[in-house]
Amino acid sequence: MPKFFDKPQSASLAFMVAGAFWFVVGALYGMVSAIHLVSPEFFSNIPWLVFGRERPVHVNTMLYGFAGTMLIGSGLYYIPALLRTKLWSERLAWVSFFLWNITIASGPLCFAFGFTQGREYSEYVWSADIILILSVLLLVYNTAMTIASRTEEQLYVSVWYFMAAFLWTAGNYPLGNVIWHPATGAMPGLIDSLFLWFWGHNLPGLLITPLATGAAYFVIPRAAKMPLNSHTLSLLGFWLLIALYSHIGGHHVLQSPIPNWLKAVSIVDSVAMVVPVSIVVLNLWLTARRQGKAVWGDPAARLVMAGIAWYIVTCIQGPLQSLPYLQRVTHFNNWTIGHAHIAMLGFGGYIALGAMYHVLPLVTGRSLYSQKLVSLQFGLITFGLTGFFIVLTMAGLIQGNAWNNGETVYRVLPELAPYYISRAALGISILTGASVGFYNVVMTVLAGRELSIAELQQGEEAA
Amino acid sequence: MKMSPALLIVGALMVFWASTFIIVGLPAMTMKETPSAIWRPMAEDEREGHRLYVQNGCSYCHSLFIRINDWDIGAERIAESGDYVAQEPAILGSERTGPDLSQEGGEHPDDWHKAHFINPRFTSPISVMPSWEFLGEEKIRKLTAYVQALGWKQADVRVARQQHWKKSAVVAYEAGADANITWLHSQVPAVWRPMPNPYPATQAALLRGKRIYQEFCVNCHGPIGDGKGPAAAWVYPPPLNFTTLRRHLEANRYIGGIFYYQIMNGITGTGMPYFKKHLESEKIWDLANYLAVSFLGYTDANIEPRGIDASYEEDWRNPYHPPAKGGD
Ligand code: HEC
Ligand code: HEC
Ligand code: HEM
Repeated sequence: MPKFFDKPQSASLAFMVAGAFWFVVGALYGMVSAIHLVSPEFFSNIPWLVFGRERPVHVNTMLYGFAGTMLIGSGLYYIPALLRTKLWSERLAWVSFFLWNITIASGPLCFAFGFTQGREYSEYVWSADIILILSVLLLVYNTAMTIASRTEEQLYVSVWYFMAAFLWTAGNYPLGNVIWHPATGAMPGLIDSLFLWFWGHNLPGLLITPLATGAAYFVIPRAAKMPLNSHTLSLLGFWLLIALYSHIGGHHVLQSPIPNWLKAVSIVDSVAMVVPVSIVVLNLWLTARRQGKAVWGDPAARLVMAGIAWYIVTCIQGPLQSLPYLQRVTHFNNWTIGHAHIAMLGFGGYIALGAMYHVLPLVTGRSLYSQKLVSLQFGLITFGLTGFFIVLTMAGLIQGNAWNNGETVYRVLPELAPYYISRAALGISILTGASVGFYNVVMTVLAGRELSIAELQQGEEAA
Repeated sequence: MKMSPALLIVGALMVFWASTFIIVGLPAMTMKETPSAIWRPMAEDEREGHRLYVQNGCSYCHSLFIRINDWDIGAERIAESGDYVAQEPAILGSERTGPDLSQEGGEHPDDWHKAHFINPRFTSPISVMPSWEFLGEEKIRKLTAYVQALGWKQADVRVARQQHWKKSAVVAYEAGADANITWLHSQVPAVWRPMPNPYPATQAALLRGKRIYQEFCVNCHGPIGDGKGPAAAWVYPPPLNFTTLRRHLEANRYIGGIFYYQIMNGITGTGMPYFKKHLESEKIWDLANYLAVSFLGYTDANIEPRGIDASYEEDWRNPYHPPAKGGD
């Protein structure tokens, strides 16, 4: 058995397979939540399957379990590859793997029975928090040691993002989760919302975003067979991301009685986020310029490119909805849910999937079981998510405008029914996509055609 | 610039912790926990109810702060930072699938909440809130204690008002069906009682009334208006049986104004909620016509005293005859 845990890139593979698995679990919980908003009497009165408990299982499993896990998996491959060395310790990466997945499994196991800290994105109970932090610290150490043992002089941009994601999370997560208050995981009083949304915003911003950006920086130049467009732009994008993104958590509680100067900071920096986002996006698009056919023709790179497209939409929307005048209508309703889905599934999830399919043959030494299934998954998820974005945005505008004009929440409920029904129907498409993907991953590992040494070398060298 | 491991690690950490200092460090040092005028500490039951609120994810559908542009429940008071003192956690919420609850205390009497928690459809027929029956009686009681405390001192005033009127309503109900209605109507201001429904009871108006009845009232007052909806097992006094109202017309002619007033304002102390935030004037009058025609077989729509017909109205003559003296 010990041999098994020493096998090069085995931890990377384990993270990716687990990510594909959690995607299915998360989608199942999402499906039931969507059904409950249509028909609350469906599966009624089942304690572990009540909306208030299943929704956090869905959200956390998707964020940490699917997007996070899968992105870490591809990173554990590209970090040593880019540094021309081996991962410093494969066993340590396995320890991270087990710790990380224990925390994620604690979602369905604990929340369903009322064991939760109840703060959005910080629900995991205290012991699971500690386990996750340990896992992150080990990843920091492992990555740092891998960097130290590199044979390639230059640190490529993907390495910065991967390393920094965990450096930030190691400070961010304990702070946002107020881990020095084990019982509640919260500060007393209004200030808790600042701690909460500091992490609530940095989870997408300083964990998922850098991991996904790093993965995109790895896959796009390889798929386009072009060198990165500009080193300077990647530097700018990196430093601006951390300088600005970390300031804007306040826009989640913009209309609450938090101090005004914080609101001002969060609005100004939210709008300024246009700059780093455009830099990253431009840099990647320019890298792929005139290679459209190669990039969009490769099912894995297509997912990454589409993820970048979703990133653009998300980050046009983001600064707009942080403007107080607009947020009066868009806050508190399905508009935000639409934004969150194109951000997490569209940007984070697409790039995670694309990077995984790109890396999987290199890690397993087997070609993908089916390229067609990757394309099918792309189609199913794209159909589902585009639909989600449209119906949730529409529902959100209906709610927001109706409320703003003096209609009560209850009175608007019947107007939402068609949108809730469409969202549940579209959910079937995403759930199917998740299942197809998991099947494809498992079959690749078990039954993919073994690649010859020559093919493998060719694949690895593309960088 | 070249990225070296040292620059990467030290730089990334420095920028991060500098931002952290600004965004959470400074507020932690400067924000004061000063109670607002309405704040009060939570009692033991309320505190346990708050735990249940957190554990069961009520916060994914309910917010706990009112903004300046809100109109729904609680909109009379905009949230202040001192409202949250010592609550841990004070989950503000990010979604309003259901209404804001920061001023929920005293909106309804306890028995309404009990019915609502057991199955929200009992009191609110189109609700998408889950049933919490599985929590059991004791936990539902604590959850109720917590939501009744929301709004703190302002909630206490409202809760006391509910309890005050509950006593009178129970006494009246226990005195028998007719005495009860006499009491109910005696609480309606005199100017409203002899007021006919100013809206013609056209086919279209009755259909509108029916639709609203089914979305708001049907599980209390029942599909045939006999007060035997599923909520009747939980609220006391039980929902009114409209069919007995035939013998209680004002001056043997009028009912519209009474209906309007009761639906608009609710009957504080009983399960009967106010609807003036949900429904505007025409909708309430349409409901009043629907109740009157469907369950009393008579409406006072458009009878004297009336002014000049509104320009859109057809030449509608009321075909209903008031019952013979004494009802039936
Ligand atoms: C799926 C979303 C959802 C969840 C979860 C939820 N609610 Fe609700 N809640 C609603 C909706 C929708 C309404 C409005 C319709 C109604 O009265 O049921 C509502 C209404 C209420 C009301 C009545 C407000 C009023 O005065 O009209 C209270 C009190 C309430 N909820 C408390 C809770 C508590 C406590 C929990 C957690 C145990 C909870 N809710 C969980 C959706 C939800
Ligand atoms: C939660 C249950 C509940 C709901 C929902 C409800 N009612 Fe009531 N209603 C009551 C109760 C209880 C009473 C008074 C019982 C008593 O004191 O005898 C009442 C009394 C009334 C009265 C007083 C009649 C009179 O002659 O004084 C009217 C009118 C009325 N309801 C109409 C409505 C309408 C219309 C709706 C829907 C828009 C509605 N109710 C929804 C429970 C409810
Ligand atoms: C780049 C600029 C971005 C800005 C300025 C921005 C801004 C915002 C704002 C203002 C909200 C709150 C909306 C409201 O509650 O009314 C929000 C919500 C959200 N954002 Fe973004 N966003 C950006 C990008 C992203 C990205 C890249 C992700 C994910 C990878 C993301 C994930 C989320 C999520 C999950 C929520 C929902 C939070 C909740 O549950 O309330 N956002 N965003």
